[in-house]
Amino acid sequence: MGMQAGAATLENSTEVPQKTKNRTTLRPSNCTTRHLSTGYREALGEYLDGKKESEEDQSKSYKQKEESRLKLAKLLLCGTELVTNIQVAADIREIHRRVEEGEIRRQRLEKLENEVKTSQDKFDEITMKWEEGKRKRIPQDLWDMLNTQQVHCAGLIEDKNKLISELQQELKTKDDQYVKDLKKQSDDICLLLERMEEQVKNVMKTFRQELNSIEKAFEAERRELLTSNKKKWERALQAHNAKELEYLLSRIKKVEDYEKQLNKQRVWDCEEYNTIKIKLEQDVQILEQQLQQMKATYQLNQEKLEYNFQVLKKRDEESVVIKSQQKRKISRLHDILNNLRSKYTRQIRQFEEENQSLTSDYIRLVTQFKELQKAMRHFALLDDKRFREIWLMNEEEAKDLISKAFDVDRIIHTQHLGLPWTAPDFWFLRNVGPISQQQQRSATQILEEVLIQTEEEGMEEATSETESYLDLPKQVSMKTTRKILMLLCDESGFLIESKLLNLLRPLEKSECYLLKLDAIFSALGIESEDDLYKLVNFFLKYRVHHSPSSQERTSPMSALDPGEQTDLERQKEGSLVGGEPEEKEVPPSPTLIHPNDVLKILEAFVMGLRKPRDPPAPVKVVKYVRDTSKDSAYWEALATVLPYATQNLWDALYTALEKYHLVLTQRAKLLIENNSLEKQNTELQMLLQQYLDSKINSELHVPPTQVLRAPTK
Amino acid sequence: MQSMQATLGTPTSSALSRFSTSTQDKSSTAGQTSSTGPQPSRPSIIPPPSKSKGWGTGASGGRMRRIIAEDPEWSLAIVPLLTELCIQHIVGNFQNNPILKQLLPEHKQKVLDHLSPDLPLAVTANLIDDESYWRRCCTQRWPVCHVAKHGGSWKRMFFERHLENLLRHFIPSTTDPALILELLPLCRNYVRRLRVDQFLPPMKLPPRPRSGELSESGSEAEVEEPATDHYQLGDLVAGLSHLEELDLVYGVKDCGMNFEWNLFLFTYRDCHSLAATIKACHTLKIFRLTRSKVDDDKARVLIRSLLDHPALEELDLSHNLVGDRGARAAAKLLSHSRLRVLNLANNQVRALGAQSLAHALAHNTNLISLNLRLNCIEDEGGQALAHALQTNRCLTTLHLGGNELSEPTATLLSQVLAVNTTLTSINLSCNHIGLDGGKQLLEGMSDNRTLLEFDLRLSDVAQESEYLIGQALCANREAARQRAPNPSCFLSPITAKGPENPAG
Repeated sequence: MGMQAGAATLENSTEVPQKTKNRTTLRPSNCTTRHLSTGYREALGEYLDGKKESEEDQSKSYKQKEESRLKLAKLLLCGTELVTNIQVAADIREIHRRVEEGEIRRQRLEKLENEVKTSQDKFDEITMKWEEGKRKRIPQDLWDMLNTQQVHCAGLIEDKNKLISELQQELKTKDDQYVKDLKKQSDDICLLLERMEEQVKNVMKTFRQELNSIEKAFEAERRELLTSNKKKWERALQAHNAKELEYLLSRIKKVEDYEKQLNKQRVWDCEEYNTIKIKLEQDVQILEQQLQQMKATYQLNQEKLEYNFQVLKKRDEESVVIKSQQKRKISRLHDILNNLRSKYTRQIRQFEEENQSLTSDYIRLVTQFKELQKAMRHFALLDDKRFREIWLMNEEEAKDLISKAFDVDRIIHTQHLGLPWTAPDFWFLRNVGPISQQQQRSATQILEEVLIQTEEEGMEEATSETESYLDLPKQVSMKTTRKILMLLCDESGFLIESKLLNLLRPLEKSECYLLKLDAIFSALGIESEDDLYKLVNFFLKYRVHHSPSSQERTSPMSALDPGEQTDLERQKEGSLVGGEPEEKEVPPSPTLIHPNDVLKILEAFVMGLRKPRDPPAPVKVVKYVRDTSKDSAYWEALATVLPYATQNLWDALYTALEKYHLVLTQRAKLLIENNSLEKQNTELQMLLQQYLDSKINSELHVPPTQVLRAPTK
Repeated sequence: MQSMQATLGTPTSSALSRFSTSTQDKSSTAGQTSSTGPQPSRPSIIPPPSKSKGWGTGASGGRMRRIIAEDPEWSLAIVPLLTELCIQHIVGNFQNNPILKQLLPEHKQKVLDHLSPDLPLAVTANLIDDESYWRRCCTQRWPVCHVAKHGGSWKRMFFERHLENLLRHFIPSTTDPALILELLPLCRNYVRRLRVDQFLPPMKLPPRPRSGELSESGSEAEVEEPATDHYQLGDLVAGLSHLEELDLVYGVKDCGMNFEWNLFLFTYRDCHSLAATIKACHTLKIFRLTRSKVDDDKARVLIRSLLDHPALEELDLSHNLVGDRGARAAAKLLSHSRLRVLNLANNQVRALGAQSLAHALAHNTNLISLNLRLNCIEDEGGQALAHALQTNRCLTTLHLGGNELSEPTATLLSQVLAVNTTLTSINLSCNHIGLDGGKQLLEGMSDNRTLLEFDLRLSDVAQESEYLIGQALCANREAARQRAPNPSCFLSPITAKGPENPAG
């Protein structure tokens, strides 16, 4: 009982701080329940959750919520504590009970043990006495002893009984206590239930209150929001209305405008439509007319065509006939054609044969012509030579005579007249050979000559140097020139026109070369003979320049001008020697000039040639026509080399000299006599000498010679 | 308590009678369903009086036609559709010819709406999955239904409670065990939890009148042990393929003044058969055996069978007689299973047992909750546990209420509080912590940021320090709420305590 009271006080004492903690929100009678229905709790939790998520940023509601939450948490906590207080109190009561129970049990056990011990002692004593009694023989003693034994046993049993009754008493009190405990527990459970119920109610109430307050807060907030939003909305609406009105007005205006425009447009369209309609109707009428016309023409045409068709049919028939005829004709003509063809081939063959024979004739004739030409040239040369020889002979003769005359004249003048004599100087005196105008021949001519000559050389294998009448290639042999020219021809084919090449193809090689070179020269601008020689020299020079080994050797003839100057001298010499051109030096082989260098040389040459270009003189020389006009004058002049004054002088002198001659003849006769005398003298001397030289002289001691010699000396 | 005692004077007979009546009801209502069943549920669609009237008038004659025209209720819509009639017929003959799967969904729904909740389970159990039907069944049978406690499934609730009801009133050697085994194929797929809070002993009149001595009755019970065996759960549990929770009390409820010690006998044979049962049940997650006088030996038998159990997460042996040896066995179990919750409240564990538990706890990584309420581990055990908590990183809830603890344990615990970051709830109520101990605990609390609950009621702690500790806890709770923005967290510690039984 004391324990219960203690528990009750304890409980009260624990409740006090709870109440103080609960403050105003929790009334002191608050009892909470542990068995708050879970569903309700979950619903609440969800509710709070949802609220929190949706309205977190709204401060007012959030504050309210927080407040409520804290309040409710506290309420729940305190409620659970209140409820569990009962359990805790029961626990501590149980502990106290256990402690007490333990203590009581221990005491009881001790007591029982003591009892057992004492009763055992007593029992032992009694049993001892039994032994003792067995030894007793005296019945009275035995009776006494039995009595005492009985008393002892009774005492023992009484003790035991007392103990049992005590224990039974205790058991009874325990039973009572059990009942009391049951009652107490049921009370506790009742209290627990009561508290739980109250707690449930309380929690429900507070939850509802809080819910209400939260809702109110939300409501207020919502209202505020609503009003503010409504204001905003109204403002926006007003603005929108104003704008709408504006738009409407402008729209009405626009509509009117458009209507006007539409009307205008409509009227205009109507007019246009009418005009177009009229026009189109007219067009339609015209077209109908045209259509009818066309129909008429069509009918006409149809008839015509039908007629034409008939005609054509007939014609066709005719044409069939004609066709057959034509076919026949064609076959006939084919036959003819075949005949003609065979004839034609035959003729072609014939003509070819003819052609061949003619070409052979032609070739023969050409060779004949060439031979003739050669012969003519030969004869011309011969004629020339003869002419020259005759001329030279005559001239020599004349000149001999003239020089005689001059000698005579000089002798007369110096010896006879005692005058100083001067030799008359005339141009013809210096002249050797036939007087001829040295005209420049064209390059082509030279070419021709060169080529032909070399060709002949090649063919005849003869030394051309002696025969060459060409006096111009002075330092250069014909061969070299030719080789150079061939090279030029081969390398500078690009200068020849393609048309010309086509034409040249059938010709012979030499002619081909000739024409080609002609074309090349015309392209290069080489016209005269000098140009040609310049070219050849240029080539040689180039080669010399590019082959230093032969530089020294070719240096004297490298310059062209000195070569030309020497021409005259050589002519003089030639006149004396007989016009044989000498080649002092054999030019190095032109094969040394590489074909690749030809173009370079040509380029350099053309550059050099261009500058000193003379206006080309129209040189049209008739070949082999000698100018004989000066010849008579020449000879006349030769005849009259001594003037008539001297002749007269000479006549006078002659007579005088004749006289002088006579004198001299006489003198000569005297001289001859003198000479004969001298001869006799010498003969005598010789005889003397003979004698002197004989061997007798040596044998003599005094030779007569010694004697003679001394006076002779 | 008193009222309950009055109402339930003879538990066995009343239970029997109730069961028989219920079965009778079923059979009787099954026949009536065709006529009475659907009518109250849909008065709007087919009002029976108007229907009969309509047909009657239509058939009687021409004179009545005028009346029909005037009858404002008459219309063709009143004539039930053929489908309606068919459904009615299906509902009426459902017991003999259950047609459900072949129907269209809307028709199926209609049929289910009109089925009687009293149909035999053999017909409905594996055929009907509709929750609303089972809801009607439950609400008809029991006035209070917490469907949330049964996983939110009415069908599961129905079968669980039905089975529990059968087991509660099973009397060995009197009731036919086939009654339960018949039910097994029907409920095996739905029962996940068995919560039997009483097992009746065999019905027998004690041959000897009760002697006054308690010790004698106890010895007698031991002698007649085979006769007091309870129902063997083995066959049943082996048949339930989804069983996850087993909550048993080997005792008689509401005995009141008819108390006898042998009503509360948990015999060795019971113990062995139960051990074999739970060992065979691999899906079991929660095993509770409370208020059943489980002493050390029986506890060891049970726990040995639970060693290396693949699924077990919670073991509850509260309100028994488990001593130090049983506690040592539990400690061994801790290291040989994935146990998360261990409840040894109101047993006889002393310092030795607490030390072995502490040793196992020091390196355990599974246990979340340990309850040693109303034991007597004293300071030695308390200190051992505190030492273990310095290394443990898993335990969140620790209940050491009523363990004769005093200041030395408080000193060590304050050190633990400064270090540990996993503990969220500690209960030290009903101890002798003392003023100094309270101060030390307050110091420890000043460094702790994780503890949410700390019960120091009736432990001789100064009110001031208790209040300050309360403030610190409040701060911690706020911080925890901030960390996990779930407003239900301040409710969760309370719900965690929910299923705890009051000390009785």
